[in-house]
Amino acid sequence: MSILSKGMALIVGLGLVLAGSATARADALQDIKSRGTIKIGVLVDFPPYGLMNEQNKPDGYDPDVAKLLARDMGVQLQLVPVTGPNRIPYLLSGQVDLLVASLGITPERAKSVEFSEPYAAITIAVYGKDDVNVAKPEDLAGKTIAVARASTQDTAVTKVAPQSATIRRFDSDAAALQALMSGQVALIGCSNVCYLTIQKLAPGKFNKKFELSSQVQGIAVKPGEAKLLAWVNQFIDKVKTNGELDKVNQKWLGEGMPAVLKKK
Amino acid sequence: MIRQFGWNEFELLVLAARWTIVLALFAFVGGGIGGLIVALLRTGDSRVARTAMVAFIRVFQGTPLLMQLFLAYFGMAIFGFNVNPLTAAVIALTAHASAYLGEIWRGCIEAVPRGQTEAATVLGLHYVARMRHVVLPQAARIAVPPTVGFLVQLLKETSLTSIIGFVELTRQGQIITSVTFRPFLVYGIVAAVYFILCWPLSLAARGMERGMARATQR
Repeated sequence: MSILSKGMALIVGLGLVLAGSATARADALQDIKSRGTIKIGVLVDFPPYGLMNEQNKPDGYDPDVAKLLARDMGVQLQLVPVTGPNRIPYLLSGQVDLLVASLGITPERAKSVEFSEPYAAITIAVYGKDDVNVAKPEDLAGKTIAVARASTQDTAVTKVAPQSATIRRFDSDAAALQALMSGQVALIGCSNVCYLTIQKLAPGKFNKKFELSSQVQGIAVKPGEAKLLAWVNQFIDKVKTNGELDKVNQKWLGEGMPAVLKKK
Repeated sequence: MIRQFGWNEFELLVLAARWTIVLALFAFVGGGIGGLIVALLRTGDSRVARTAMVAFIRVFQGTPLLMQLFLAYFGMAIFGFNVNPLTAAVIALTAHASAYLGEIWRGCIEAVPRGQTEAATVLGLHYVARMRHVVLPQAARIAVPPTVGFLVQLLKETSLTSIIGFVELTRQGQIITSVTFRPFLVYGIVAAVYFILCWPLSLAARGMERGMARATQR
């Protein structure tokens, strides 16, 4: 699939070069406002960030952010379901105005699209039983922690854990989670999405100890649309300050806005 | 976030098959007309038309359908033609099917013994009458199995249109799997629906073959 998406990126890139500045308009923000509708691409197969609800409508963290954005701009919202491989072509070819599609901010992607400030993050953290006293990596000394083998959390835990800590590696997040549930281990290193499952299975028994790392996601804008990008950034600042983004986090991820989104 | 797989999900899945059917019908009709034109020009007398058809077949057989769909939708949009996804899909599927059916049918036309054409010419039949009454009916009999084989394949290939935003059977299966975590059940149903769509085609093909065999019995 990666060869495929590279091929597509190449074709789109080539097309953009050929089309040149002829189709690049100066002010997409003005266009959207005069059209009265904003088209936003969202994923529908990446719960809880993007999914199809019972009514077969896009729903989740990303669509909720998109709804706030359209309301703020004072335009109608048209959600366009996109997929991992085709989301950047959708944006570059102008089929959507923005992507709120869990697009992790990476240097490679920043070459083809322009990213806003982060609006979401997938956080990897150490979670554990309420009564276990761990607040920083050093506290792991002498304790046992479960992780999925060769995952991001495995690498992160291995890096920070002291010598005396035991790292139990399982084949998957599900197996590590099972060990936590059955009491074989009291601590686990996993993502915030995985923590959602933990909370569902055993509400109120486990909490977050400390964060390991995070991958932040940004809203993507077609390159050269400085005014639109500035507007999006101002919007993100606003919903971060007025608590609305915090609510979206509470609703879909079961916890407040991660620390990495707060620092500017 | 995990949702039970219930009647609602089953219904969504089966309803998504309507796009598979619509796209397949467009591809069959478009490809049938296009393929006949390609096959006739490819076996015709005009050298220019023959060369053009060879080039057309090479390009569309030599590039993946996925890329053809991609270019028909995103490519045209970049150059300022805003086609809707259905138009793009119909264009790409028609061109793809025309190239394949054209080449299949050319083989079938050429398989009709040359003596048949010569005899028809001697009897004073012109090109249209010769093709219509002598060559094509005999070619059609040979053409049934490979044509149906290709059409069944084409029906399943419509799943590639998810790249330009169609939520057809396969894509709907992926979406439902992501919230229900029941891949075996969901893809099992998807496979069953494809089978229900393809099986009648194969049955019809057998019926047609029998009918034609009877017609040409001596």
